[in-house]
Amino acid sequence: MPIKSPFESCIAKPGEGQVVLSLLPPSNPTLTTLTYKYPLKLLTRTPGFVPKSSALTCPSQPVHLYLLTYGGGLLPGDKINVSITLDPRTRMVVTTPQGSTKIFKTEPNASVKGQRGTPKHILSDKSSQTLSVHVGQEAALCYLPDPAVPYKDSRYEQVQTFTVDGPTASKDPRRSSLCILDWVTQGRASRGENWDFHLWRGKNEVWTTDELGKKKLLLRDSLILDRELDQDQLDRNPELLTHTNLIRERTYPHGVVGTLILYGPVFENLANFVMDRFTSLPRIGARNWSSPSTVASGSSAATESPPNFDEQVTFTAARVRAGFVLVKFGAPDFATAKDWLGAILREEGTVYKEFGEEALFCL
Amino acid sequence: MAVKTTPQDLEQEILDLESRLLHARKRLALASSSPSTSLPLRTDDDDDFGVTLPKETNPTATPSILSSHAFLLLSDSALPLGSFAYSSGLESYLAHNKPLPRTITPVASFHRFLKLSIASMASTSIPYVLAAYRYPEDLETLDNDMDASTPCIVAQRASLAQGRALIGVWERSFRATYASVGTTAAPAAAAAVRAIAEFSDALKSCGDTAEELGPKGHLAPLWGVVCLAMGMDARQTAYVFMLNHAKAVLSAAVRASVMGPYQAQSVLASQRLQDMITERIEREWDTPVEDAGQIVPPLDLWVGRHELLYSRIFNS
Repeated sequence: MPIKSPFESCIAKPGEGQVVLSLLPPSNPTLTTLTYKYPLKLLTRTPGFVPKSSALTCPSQPVHLYLLTYGGGLLPGDKINVSITLDPRTRMVVTTPQGSTKIFKTEPNASVKGQRGTPKHILSDKSSQTLSVHVGQEAALCYLPDPAVPYKDSRYEQVQTFTVDGPTASKDPRRSSLCILDWVTQGRASRGENWDFHLWRGKNEVWTTDELGKKKLLLRDSLILDRELDQDQLDRNPELLTHTNLIRERTYPHGVVGTLILYGPVFENLANFVMDRFTSLPRIGARNWSSPSTVASGSSAATESPPNFDEQVTFTAARVRAGFVLVKFGAPDFATAKDWLGAILREEGTVYKEFGEEALFCL
Repeated sequence: MAVKTTPQDLEQEILDLESRLLHARKRLALASSSPSTSLPLRTDDDDDFGVTLPKETNPTATPSILSSHAFLLLSDSALPLGSFAYSSGLESYLAHNKPLPRTITPVASFHRFLKLSIASMASTSIPYVLAAYRYPEDLETLDNDMDASTPCIVAQRASLAQGRALIGVWERSFRATYASVGTTAAPAAAAAVRAIAEFSDALKSCGDTAEELGPKGHLAPLWGVVCLAMGMDARQTAYVFMLNHAKAVLSAAVRASVMGPYQAQSVLASQRLQDMITERIEREWDTPVEDAGQIVPPLDLWVGRHELLYSRIFNS
């Protein structure tokens, strides 16, 4: 079946995109819809990877979707709105091959000529990204993107909604599967940016529909990083910008924070692995009786041992309701978090086995 | 000589502060319940002293006395919710920030935690408290959404234990008095009473396995509904919720030897704390529950990692 040309459809509004992935018999994943419009660009590819051993019987080939924006980021006022439908038993890998999603901030009114007396600090327009994914029975989504990098003074909001079809009772093998990573960094650390943006609001929701057709919220993970400055305050006292930084205060001591959501039969082993990793962490404040020096004086001993990512990354994992495993982490910088997460996913191997090496492209 | 008198002086000061706190709370109760009832009465005289005077002489002052009575009951630290068992992440925070750099005193470090904790509690819970207060019929949905939004089992445990204790206190102690208010006199309170009864039935009829998606009994939405049933106004409801949280954290600080009981009381009485609570409530006043969220990401980590502590004296 030929893929429809994205150019023949004029339905899409700027920044909107739509993808429908269906499974044609016997087991042939096909994109029945693929539309997008500037500044969004969607590319797909089926690398020909076939999962050899899987948690599910007769797994289908994963299809890769690349989320691209012109310039590799979002300008103030840009609105991206992507809707993805995964029909039953399909698999999709979503990555961001352009690297981190940059949230830009343009100089205020730089292009307005001859206009004087404009306030020096003006809050830029919010850019936003909405992603809604409908995941059918036994379908699986592996969404491991690069982190968002909000530049100084930027404002951004993203809402990612995932709707899972079919049963939600844990242990039911017909459940949909989800692996969702959402992380945000302090900005361009190399340019000295340290949580210098104005607003970053990220929300991840997983919904289900019960037998009566009523929507029910299964999980909501919502993070608000807001400097809580409004235009009036800034006009009255521009100094505020340099004096207080609520976001920095509230994220200290981390340079990157993130969440990993795992759900469904495909990621069950990975979920158990992460839970084990968390529960077997060394106790905090315990004394190491086996070594001659106590922990308190043994800080030099810690530096001698080979780098242990679990020591540099503060993380917590919890099995919350409906079989979800929620991992939250904070790390001093992007590279540390990336190495830590990449090491866990590679060591455990589920993502590699079910989706192929390319799914770990961003890590 | 000076050393001998200091404890007495301090005790005197504490008594003074406590009485001032009590007085301030009473004034707050009156002030926050007055705009709705006494504002129309005061249009003809702008005298500030007239705020409380007409209320005391007015026979319609009964609801406000009723509401400040409920206010005092719900803000009582002896309210059997078991809040003393939870430190809201303080114990874990202390363990994660040990040893402190020499430039930072334990008390300064605690103040940072208190500020973060209050901001975070307000942004995650106040929208649910107020939504339940405003729409008691949505209690079950709010409870489900709150459960879906609580990212770790440690926080969940704390919220559930206190929420269910609150239902218990309501049913065993408060209901007899407050549920008898006629449906015509206070339709909102009657709706709240109905909502709690329905929710409580649903809670009892469904087994409490962790994975089930039935009603759970989180503190924040239940707090809103119980306060509505007891005739409190929305401001009081939010304020007492936050103040109780602050009290729990400070009480945990005393038991974790961060500060002494007198110092804890003085923090509790301070203008700074009052301003902080008022400011956070103001900020979340119109936040819909869909936009409630964590604004202090490390707090989730500290609370979640409480289970990793080698020794612990609190449940969270």
